[in-house]
Order: sequence, then structure tokens, then C-alpha cells
Amino acid sequence: MTTPVLEIRNLHARIDEREILKGVNLIIPPGEVHAIMGRNGSGKSTLSYVLAGKEDYEVTEGEILLNGENILEMEPDERAAAGLFLAFQYPIEIPGVATMTFLKAALNAQRKARGEEELKTPDFMRLVKEAGSQLNIDNDMLKRPLNVGFSGGEKKRAEIMQMALLKPSLAVLDETDSGLDIDALQVVSKGVNALRDGQRSMLVITHYQRLLNHIVPDVVHVFSDGKIVESGDKDLALKLEAKGYASYGGEAA
Amino acid sequence: MRANFPVRLGPAEDALIAQLKAAGADAAAERITVAGLPTRRVESYHYTDLKTLLRAIPPLATAANEASAPALRIPGAFNLMIANGAIQNAATAPAGVIVGRAEGGVLTTRDDVLVHINGALAKEALTLTLENSVDPVIQVERRIEGEAAHVADALKIFVADDASATIVETFSGSDAAHVGNHATYLSAGKNAVVTHITIDLSARAVSHFATNEYQLADGAKLRTLVIHAGAGLARTHVFPRMAGAGAHADLTGLNLVADGQHADITMETLHAVPHTSSQPLFKSIVRGRAKAVVQGKLVVARDAQKTDAKFMHQGLMLSDEAEILSKPELEIYADDVVCGHGSTCGMIDEDSLFYLMSRGIPKPEAETMLVRGFIAELLDPIEDEELNEALQGIVDGWLMSGK
Repeated sequence: MTTPVLEIRNLHARIDEREILKGVNLIIPPGEVHAIMGRNGSGKSTLSYVLAGKEDYEVTEGEILLNGENILEMEPDERAAAGLFLAFQYPIEIPGVATMTFLKAALNAQRKARGEEELKTPDFMRLVKEAGSQLNIDNDMLKRPLNVGFSGGEKKRAEIMQMALLKPSLAVLDETDSGLDIDALQVVSKGVNALRDGQRSMLVITHYQRLLNHIVPDVVHVFSDGKIVESGDKDLALKLEAKGYASYGGEAA
Repeated sequence: MRANFPVRLGPAEDALIAQLKAAGADAAAERITVAGLPTRRVESYHYTDLKTLLRAIPPLATAANEASAPALRIPGAFNLMIANGAIQNAATAPAGVIVGRAEGGVLTTRDDVLVHINGALAKEALTLTLENSVDPVIQVERRIEGEAAHVADALKIFVADDASATIVETFSGSDAAHVGNHATYLSAGKNAVVTHITIDLSARAVSHFATNEYQLADGAKLRTLVIHAGAGLARTHVFPRMAGAGAHADLTGLNLVADGQHADITMETLHAVPHTSSQPLFKSIVRGRAKAVVQGKLVVARDAQKTDAKFMHQGLMLSDEAEILSKPELEIYADDVVCGHGSTCGMIDEDSLFYLMSRGIPKPEAETMLVRGFIAELLDPIEDEELNEALQGIVDGWLMSGK
């Protein structure tokens, strides 16, 4: 059996004294796209932050294996170099740091961590141009400070562009559809689908079924009260859309 | 009624009084005899208590016999030097630049001890007259070399109407416990466009004091940048006088302060006539147990209607022991003005750091990026590429020295 790209075993995590993840189990084989759906406050975004290694959360139990390697002791940058990418629900604005400068630093830092040579500027520019053109990201946008003054759509497109450049083995998309109009949603989905290559795995977190019409998942999981309570194929998303989350108990946030 | 006890004078004050008397500056000596060096009770020195911070005044400087390496090289710059208060011979000046000498005492008299001392002790001033626009950056190196010395020097710059120029002053020298008291007076003619940058790169043992006074005629545009990145104790005064309609000044500064250092930028801008504007923007970055101070006062004269001025100071604390002090003041006598002030202070933003790290950038590098981003607003407007790189190099050097 091939090693799953992501394996989460009995993951418990808390912030301050409050337990948010209460025993998550999940296996994503190579090339598969899994969706996690759940109502607000069910712990979906927490799962994405815990995967990426945000300091505020304390893992009290369980394991996260990325390509068979336990990443819980790794810093966020080490997890990224190991192949994890989180597309943020709310990408952070960084004044004074040009998007281009940031992209180069990120790409070269990951290459360095993996023992690869740094990219020469012309090669880097070519990669950026290729990735940008598919997402309608032009040079002017890349000269602007990272995410500063970007519209909601621009921010999400910039996230997907980073993903295209960094070529992760696992991409976690946290509410990537939030703040997008239908046109922007199509551009972003197209960008994501272009990165489905049979090897790269994705975890798509959303609470609307809408996104899953564009990024069609192999497996849909329902998240409630800090764990996965049901899994099925893409039709499960349609069922949820029709019936809501009420049958899974817990309280609406 | 309060009893009027005589002020107890310390060794620094005794030395100062002796030096001032020897220079024939009896009035300045008398002021210090009566009042001593300013303490925190003097409002403008509230956060920089000179009586406590300045424990000794070394002997007045003699001629410099040796020279340390230049602290900053700006490729292509026209260089001038004042070493231990003495003006050094310079290479042939670019067209339109007249280099000369004048008597010291370039500053307008005001109630400030450092201004008094400079006026009394600076014997000679370097004068620069810029008759037309000057392309190369003009760099004035002000050095204090050899054994610990007290130096007062002076520079007077006239920029003609419609001319543009960039003048950079660097302060450096040997590692001894010097006290430098530097004065610069810059007059910008009508519609002149001037950038004036002063960078303290002195050794840690040095106490660095500088007063930069500006006079702006109609339509003149001034950009200033003070960088404190050297001396253990540093205070720079920025005193612009907006004296012509349409004059505008971007007054900026950066305190880079680490363990044991104390850096203070004190600005007082006088909007003297109607229709002038100023944009003071200062930043302080502090790590270790150290202190940064920015005081910014906007004074608007009674008939200086339509003044537009906003003071801003932003602090970034890289340690728990860091201290950043901010004092904005508005003194407005006109009634139709837009004036304001703001001040912020914080640590490195954790969410920003996490975001950069989540893209594979290791923590130290991510922090450096965020600090550079914090400063970008001050350095980006410096358009001369080589100068901009040299300034970025100073910031990077400071950041690296803390890693």
C-alpha cells in the first residue's frame, strides 16, 4: 500500500483551556481531493491551523503524518518545506514587503531547506510569470506589498499562485470560496484544478457545497464538534446542502 | 512658596562650565552654573535626562592625527569632512557647489542647552552653497578621532531657488567616549527640492548630539531622515521653520536601539506662514533593555492658516525590556488648519510571522522581512539607488548584529 500523503490519527487540540479538536482521524491517499464540511465553529479552521503549526494551539494527543513523517514537532516553515501548504481564509496583509520579494524568499527558503540550489532571478521571473498568467495576476500586482489593498478575489488568487509556485504535496484550502464572487470563484477553482495532477493531494475546507461544484472532491467528510462524523462521496455534499447539519447534533454557532 | 536650593553640579557640568568659560562664553557657562544640565523636570528633556545620562565631558578636541575607516561609502558621492571640529580640504567640487568657511554659531538662538554649547564652542562652520541642482550626493563626514574628546562643529548649507540636492551627513570616528555636538543649518530657496539625511554611526561609548535647523522658502520641498544606529546616547533635534507659502517637509527618522542604548529624536516644526504642510513620520525599533524617544511638536503661528501637518511615531519592540516613549505636542494659534498626531507601539505581529513561516520562510528571516517592511516607508522615498542601498545596508547590519 502506498503511504498516504496525509494521515491524522486521533488528533486532539485545544486553545487556552478549550478543547476544539476531539479525536480527528483522516487518511488522504496521493492524488485525492477530500472536502471537509461543517458548520461555523465546528473546528474546521482549527484543523487547518493545527496542520500548519500555528503556535496558539496545543496538540494534546494524536499524530499528524505527512508522507509518513510526523510533523507535530516541526515549525511552520519546516512543515512547508516538507510539502504542506495552507491557503488562508484571510490572507495576511504585510505592508512594506513586495509580493515579488516575498515569493522569491519563500521559494528559495524551501529549496534551501530541501538542499536544492537557489533559483536564479531570470528562472524565478519565468516561473512567476507562468503561474501569474493563469490566475490573471500581472506584474503590477506583484510589485505591490503582499496582500495590502488586494480585493478579496486578488487575495485568493495570490494564495493559489503561491501554491502553484511552491508545489506542495498537500494543499489545505481553508474556506477558499469565502469573499469570492462567481467569476472570481471560477478563476480560483480553475487554478486549483490545474494543480490536480494525480499525485498532489488536497484538503478543501468549506461550509458551502457551492465550491465543490467547481472543485469536485473524491471524498466528503462531515465535521461536527471537533471530529469527523460521517464520510462519503461527493453526493454527501449535496445531501448536506439539502438537509443542513442539524442531524449531526451540536449547536449552531 | 518653594525654597530655591542651588543646583548641585556634577563633574560633567563642572567640565562644561570650564570649557565654556575658557571659550569666552560666559553667558552659556552661567546658565549651566545656575540650572545645571536639564533633568526630567525640563519638559523638552523629560525622557532624556542629560544630568543623569551624561556623566562626563572629555577635554575639547585637538587636531585629528589618525583616521578610522569611513563608516559609510556612498558610491559616486562628493565627499567633505570635518574631523575633530576642523574642516578638511576637499576634492574639486561639482559644478555649482561652492565650499567655504564661516564663523561658527550657525543655529538660531533658542532655549536649549545643546544649542547654547554648540554656539559657544563651534569655532568654524563649513559652508556649502548650492547654486544649481547637484546630481551627485553630497556627503559630509563628521568624525571624532583619537582619545575621548568633546567636539562642537557646524555646517551651513544654502540651496538656491529652484535647485535640487541630496546631502548626507555621517557621524563616526574612533571607539573612545566622545561627546559630539553637531549643528547643521539648511536654507532651502524658493521651489528648491532638498533631501537631507543624517546618520549616526558612532561607537557605543559615544554621546551624540545633533541639531538640524531648516528654513524653507516659498514652494520648497524638504525630505529629512535621521537615523540613530551607533552611539550609546543619541539625541537629534529637528527644527524646521516653514517660512514660505507652499513649502512642504517630509520629516522622517529612525531610532535603531539595542541593549543599553538611548536614542531620542526631538522635532519642533514651526509653521510660520499660511499654506505650508509637513508630514513628520518617525519609527523606533528597540531590542534588549534599551530606550527610544520621539518628541514631535507642531507649532502653528497665528496667521499660518491652511497649515496641514500630521505627526506620527510608530514603535516596534523586539524584546520585553524595550521602552519606547512618544510625545506629540500641538501648539496651534491659527483657527483654520488640519493638524494631528498619532502614535502606535507593538511587537512583531504573530499572525504575520505565522503567515510568512507557513510559506517556508524560517523565523529569523521572516522577522527580518517584517522589520524591513516596517521601515520601508522611510527608505522607499529615497530614490537614489546607491544611497537607498547604502541605507538599507545600515538597517540590515543592525538587524544582523542582533541575530
